[in-house]
Amino acid sequence: MNRRKFLAAAAAATSLAVVLAGCSTKGGESAATTDKSGIKTGPGITKDKISVGVLTDLSGPVAPLGKSALQAEQLYLKQVNVAGGVCGRTIELVVRDHGLDVQKAVAAYAEIEPQIAALGQLSGSAQTAALLDGIEKDKLQSIQIGASGTVLGKPHLRLMASTYDIDMVNGVGFLVKAAKLKKGDKVGHVYVEGEYGGNAAEGAEFAAKKAGLTLVAQTVKPTDKDLTAQVTALRAAGVKAIVFSGVPAQTASLVGVAAATGLKVPVLASAPAYVPQLLATPAKPALEKMLYVASPWPALSVDTPSVKKLVDDYTKAYPKDPVNQAAQAGNAAGSLLVGTLKAACEAKDLSRDGISKALRSLTAYAEGFHEPQNFSDPAKASSTKTYIAQPAAGVPGGMKQIQDATEDPWLAEYLAAHGG
Amino acid sequence: MSDRSAKAHTSVTDRVRALGPRRIAALAGCLLLLAPPLYLSSFWLQTGLFAMVAVIAAIGLNLLVGTAGQLSLGHAFFLAVGAYGYTWLADDTHRSGTADLSGLGLPPLLAFVAAVLLAGVAGAAFSPLSGRLRGMYLGVATLALIFFGHHAMLNAESYTGGFNGRTVPEMEILGLSLGDADDGLAVLGVPFGGLERLWYFGLVLVAVAALAARNLLKGRPGRALGALRDSEVAAAVMGVPAARYRAAAFTVSSMYAGAAGALLALAAQRVVPDYFSLLLSMDMLAMIVIGGLGSVAGAAAGAVFVSVLPQLLAHYSDALPLVVSAGSAEPGLGSADAARFLYGAALVLTLVFAPGGLVSLRGGRAARALRGLPRPRRPAPTLPSTSPQPSAGATTGGDTLKEHTP
Repeated sequence: MNRRKFLAAAAAATSLAVVLAGCSTKGGESAATTDKSGIKTGPGITKDKISVGVLTDLSGPVAPLGKSALQAEQLYLKQVNVAGGVCGRTIELVVRDHGLDVQKAVAAYAEIEPQIAALGQLSGSAQTAALLDGIEKDKLQSIQIGASGTVLGKPHLRLMASTYDIDMVNGVGFLVKAAKLKKGDKVGHVYVEGEYGGNAAEGAEFAAKKAGLTLVAQTVKPTDKDLTAQVTALRAAGVKAIVFSGVPAQTASLVGVAAATGLKVPVLASAPAYVPQLLATPAKPALEKMLYVASPWPALSVDTPSVKKLVDDYTKAYPKDPVNQAAQAGNAAGSLLVGTLKAACEAKDLSRDGISKALRSLTAYAEGFHEPQNFSDPAKASSTKTYIAQPAAGVPGGMKQIQDATEDPWLAEYLAAHGG
Repeated sequence: MSDRSAKAHTSVTDRVRALGPRRIAALAGCLLLLAPPLYLSSFWLQTGLFAMVAVIAAIGLNLLVGTAGQLSLGHAFFLAVGAYGYTWLADDTHRSGTADLSGLGLPPLLAFVAAVLLAGVAGAAFSPLSGRLRGMYLGVATLALIFFGHHAMLNAESYTGGFNGRTVPEMEILGLSLGDADDGLAVLGVPFGGLERLWYFGLVLVAVAALAARNLLKGRPGRALGALRDSEVAAAVMGVPAARYRAAAFTVSSMYAGAAGALLALAAQRVVPDYFSLLLSMDMLAMIVIGGLGSVAGAAAGAVFVSVLPQLLAHYSDALPLVVSAGSAEPGLGSADAARFLYGAALVLTLVFAPGGLVSLRGGRAARALRGLPRPRRPAPTLPSTSPQPSAGATTGGDTLKEHTP
């Protein structure tokens, strides 16, 4: 017993010493400095390396998409690094997996924030929302994968290409022409509750009002799998077309059930509602005939050199993984990051402020995006154009393009009304 | 040592001796807990604060599940009430982006206390159910709270900020801000930001929560709840009003959750609805099962284990064999997956080898448990520790809900 007491007392004494000694090396943060070539540097910048963070889902519900986007960005940066990097430095990614868990995302952000110059990829809408304040406080320029217009307006959070609501305004414009809709026609409107569906619905409602269409609204939950009840209600209402913002499993159910019960009308879907894997379901013939996808990215089967290069490179590097829209977003994020860092290097300012200024100086940046993008105003989407594509088996990305990047005439009015 | 020399010495040494090794070790542990803000980076402080949140919530849940034998799957809801309650009470009415947010603008400390009470009121409002339903049935009923809460958080936008949540106002005690205030506060040369300051606030909360739970368990209410759990009829015969005690346990437990939620809000600096999912409730149940049902120390140990393990693995994935860092092209197990496997394995191992949880694995008991020997429930100090008592072991071995550790 005495021995134990002695040990305990020793432990107590040691801990007291540790606490009181205060020999901490913490503190004394490295302020912004200037390197030999006169370039101002900040956190995450060493003389031969630029560290950039990635916070994404690699183990949770959307891990397959997170993985595609990450691989595409890694591939792009590898090519840039092989060609000499940016500012004489190579770009290195510090990747953390949040598994679509908000708390993990917050903890991972706290972990990597001091050691990175920018956040090259941030995915997950709830995770992004939780970090909104931290990102602004740390002035950490972040590139978000995702397209909900509700997070526009934060100076350091950059969305790429068009947002869900813009795609819906443009998409409904396309649908009116394609389905020859007239004033007073009824159109079904099915969307998931929550951020993505809500944002898309804003656009769809505006466009429908402008076109004089009557929307028959049905909301679903992200977890709903069977949309028979919604289809039945829409058929009873006599809709001429359907606008849909949901998840892929729901798309198969909606289109499949509609076709099987004789409701053969065109269905316009938001980009997240479609994945090429749907073509392996029994709904394939119906999808190929009835579904149109309004997307911020061109279909991967188009004959543009930039798209072809991405598809070829990606397939060569990752032969086992199918190339998809997430890979496009990841590729674009990598390209935007490199463009930003190059601009910052030219302005001789790689500090965090310098990097966000450089990003805002890109007003017609097309590399990796296929359409010039304007990143000058954080409150506005960088593009107002939408591509329309249709499911097609046997081509990269499982879609063929129906309409090139187009802006609907009503969009300007929509954007003015929504302050963005 | 003779009486005379003991008298001659100052009483200090006597007092130290009277403390005993366990007390001294506990004191040392407490002292060590004061040190992290001086040494650790913000990542570890944040992880530590999340662990404190888990500890408070788990202690509260343990009162309900471990002691009262009731099940709740809806505790994430009460965390949400605490978190949003604090934010709403302490924040001013203002406009953020496109949304109008309401708030009462109370002093933060008052708002914190009020948020805990608010969670208690929410728990009490559930008492018609929590007093009458038992065990599993209550668990299923509380499940509804999660979905109700999620719907409310998304749609009561002026209170919660909707999907994107709202900023949490900083805690302030007697004029000292516990946020990232620019007042140049430094201790021993280390600049003290929000997380460093919150660390001590969190420690105080954990200490208060643990002490209150200990006293509750040792006193009449704890014994009454234990009696209710083991036999409702016997408890009723002894004069314990079952419905009232069950409802009270649920209310107290939800107040703990409310305090944990408010601390979570302070640590995260922004609350969003997705924190408070069913998964959080499940994690909390896993914490108390791993730690040991019915024990305050067990709940704390389990909470730290479950909340810190994934962070540790992600942070040191480079140094661990078989585990690769996120996004690496090398073959291997991602750190998040590895954490999940370990977590599952810990749960299974706990249930098989130590149904009493981590807290029962002290000293030589661990080795015996691993050998699978039947063991006395509470070995008397005079008994040789190896003497098996098969009958006592048989009654406690299988049924974890009946394990009532001191």
